[in-house]
Amino acid sequence: MKVRSYGVVMALIAIAAALAAPLVADPFWMTLITQIYIYGLLALSVDLLLGHAGLYSLCQASFFAVAAYTTAILQVRYGYPTIVAAPAGLIAGTLLAVLYGSAVRTRGVYFILITIALGYIIWGAVYRWASFTGGDNGITNVPPPSVAGFSIASQTAYYYFVLTVVILCAFGYRILIRSPFGLSLRGIKGSESRMQSLGYRTTMHLYAAFVISGLIASLAGVLYVYYNRFINPVAASFQISVEVSLMAIVGGSGTIVGPFIGAGVFLGLRNWVSSFFELHTAVMGAVFIATVLWAPSGIVGLVERWRPGIGKPKDQP
Amino acid sequence: MSNATSRRNLICAAGAALIATAFGTTSFAQQTGPIKIGLLVPLTGPLAAPGIDMVDGFKLYWDQVGNMAGERKVEYVIADTTCNPDQAITQARRLVHQEKVHIMIGPLCGHEGPAVAQVSKETGVPLVMDTAGADSVTKWDRTPTVVRTAVSASQIGHPFGDYLYKELGARNVTFIGQDYTWGHEVTLGMVQTFKELGGKVAKIIWNPIGTKDYGATVASIAPGSDAVVAVVVGADRIRLFEAWFSFGMDKRFKMYGGYWMHQDALPQMDDRAIGMIGNSLHYAAGLDTPANKAFVDAFAKKHRRLPSWFSESAYTASLWTRTAIEQIKGNVEDRAAFLKAMRTSTVQAPRGTLKLDDYDNPIQNVYVTRIQKINHPAVGAVLTNVPIKTYENVSQFWTWKPEEFLKRGPYKR
Repeated sequence: MKVRSYGVVMALIAIAAALAAPLVADPFWMTLITQIYIYGLLALSVDLLLGHAGLYSLCQASFFAVAAYTTAILQVRYGYPTIVAAPAGLIAGTLLAVLYGSAVRTRGVYFILITIALGYIIWGAVYRWASFTGGDNGITNVPPPSVAGFSIASQTAYYYFVLTVVILCAFGYRILIRSPFGLSLRGIKGSESRMQSLGYRTTMHLYAAFVISGLIASLAGVLYVYYNRFINPVAASFQISVEVSLMAIVGGSGTIVGPFIGAGVFLGLRNWVSSFFELHTAVMGAVFIATVLWAPSGIVGLVERWRPGIGKPKDQP
Repeated sequence: MSNATSRRNLICAAGAALIATAFGTTSFAQQTGPIKIGLLVPLTGPLAAPGIDMVDGFKLYWDQVGNMAGERKVEYVIADTTCNPDQAITQARRLVHQEKVHIMIGPLCGHEGPAVAQVSKETGVPLVMDTAGADSVTKWDRTPTVVRTAVSASQIGHPFGDYLYKELGARNVTFIGQDYTWGHEVTLGMVQTFKELGGKVAKIIWNPIGTKDYGATVASIAPGSDAVVAVVVGADRIRLFEAWFSFGMDKRFKMYGGYWMHQDALPQMDDRAIGMIGNSLHYAAGLDTPANKAFVDAFAKKHRRLPSWFSESAYTASLWTRTAIEQIKGNVEDRAAFLKAMRTSTVQAPRGTLKLDDYDNPIQNVYVTRIQKINHPAVGAVLTNVPIKTYENVSQFWTWKPEEFLKRGPYKR
């Protein structure tokens, strides 16, 4: 009981801090924090598979990019309003996950390899199909989102919008991983053959998890394209898939706040440290090595070591 | 007592600060402050070496003028874009919002160009687009607050197609092109003018950036080709050079560099390059003019190497920016006036006389160059590009009417 109330207090403090951030932070920090939320959401989608189902997917950037490209193309090329373009992006990304979900027929290293290959298909398509996607130059001039004449044009307004979506997602995610479904995913991660012998259709569970993960990644993609007002093939690249996995691992795999903390560390190092230290990539490398050596369960794991019970589902050992 | 006084003092000070912020006339406060310029270049990643070339050219210019423009001090901030558009956008926003720069210069990588232009558009901070060469920026996708001082990709391609047909007498050519926007636009620009004169394209071989092995490429050159033209970037330039000679292709075909042996790559090549046509480019370190000599000597003295076109580009972008700042007497807060000055001034750059066309792209000479070994007092014996043919005042639209070109659409493979 005590542990639970501690967790609630921490969550409330975090939300209060996030709500107050625009009052103290300058516009650069606001864009950076918004970016951290969006990438944190993408890292969270990776972690549903990595931290709970034990699948290492390296094609998350595909759902992210397809959702972002669909929204951008509909808005910029065809002039559809946000009310059409944003849901269409979500649906397109999720449909891709429905298709790519067949990858869960494989396990382990084969799953990793097939998701890399699937990821490259999307990257290749957006890169090469230049007449439709703009190729290397990407698509610029995505307007701010507006629904029924109400436009989220200012940076602060968009920050609050992203924050709201992220908080709602985090709560939904919490319900999901604490449900019997989440429990069975962790069961499959622990021992798939045992779950099968207990009568679970493990592949269907993993498939469902893959599609939900694709949905979360698509949501991040739509938020991203309205944040950056620009999209280019880098968003679909293998590099992004790897980076978001690292975010989840550094922050703390299997937790909800972990991926967001990881995104903060990763993007903070890259964007802030690079402004005064040229060897910022070396700093990033050192952080990863330190994580692997001394904090294998990430930053959240490090905190838990002296204060048990934060952001961890109770049924985990 | 003392407590009350200090609190009162504090309140007074805070009030004064508030009033100062509210009423401090912007022109007074800012006119006397320094002009801040943000330079966006990759300092890490695949194009770090050209990025550092740009920084060196940029710093050289501001050193030479004592960091002054329009009787105001100039301060600059250098941001690392890592050749990633995402990072370029975030860094551009950092320069605008946190560093409060008046002007941005950069970026380098083609695909970063539209990304940074986006930030210029949403914030109104003028962008002096440097080496990023996407054609669309000054053709189909223009931004009112963006002017370009370097080059658009196909601008250097068009003259070479002409040279290939008329001067080199080539009729059936294999092109080796780099498979991304800049590579497409340079290569297909050459193909366009070459074909219009009656030349035949035997084959175009596209290689992605970072192709590790050029053996397969040189082996698949069309047998009847009377010339091979290379458009390659980054480390691919060296790999193609090695593959070309180690497969003995130099004995079977004539190879011309359309965009290949730049100054920053030449130290990694060797004397086999001597006598080859290296580039068709708007700058060559071996250009024999007083303005270029002064620039090359100053650069070589400081850095013990010759400047590449990336260095010259950042140097000239700074020169052009400062010329405009001088014209508006340092009032960079007036963005419209600054952009107007950029668009109307004529600049005597190391690479020649420059002026923007109606579409914000410079009209400039394009030099076809041959690789020679020269003795530079500061560097010693060194390979460099020496112009053998100058196409004067080349427009980004070559000899076509702008409307005609724009209607035809971008070069796509």
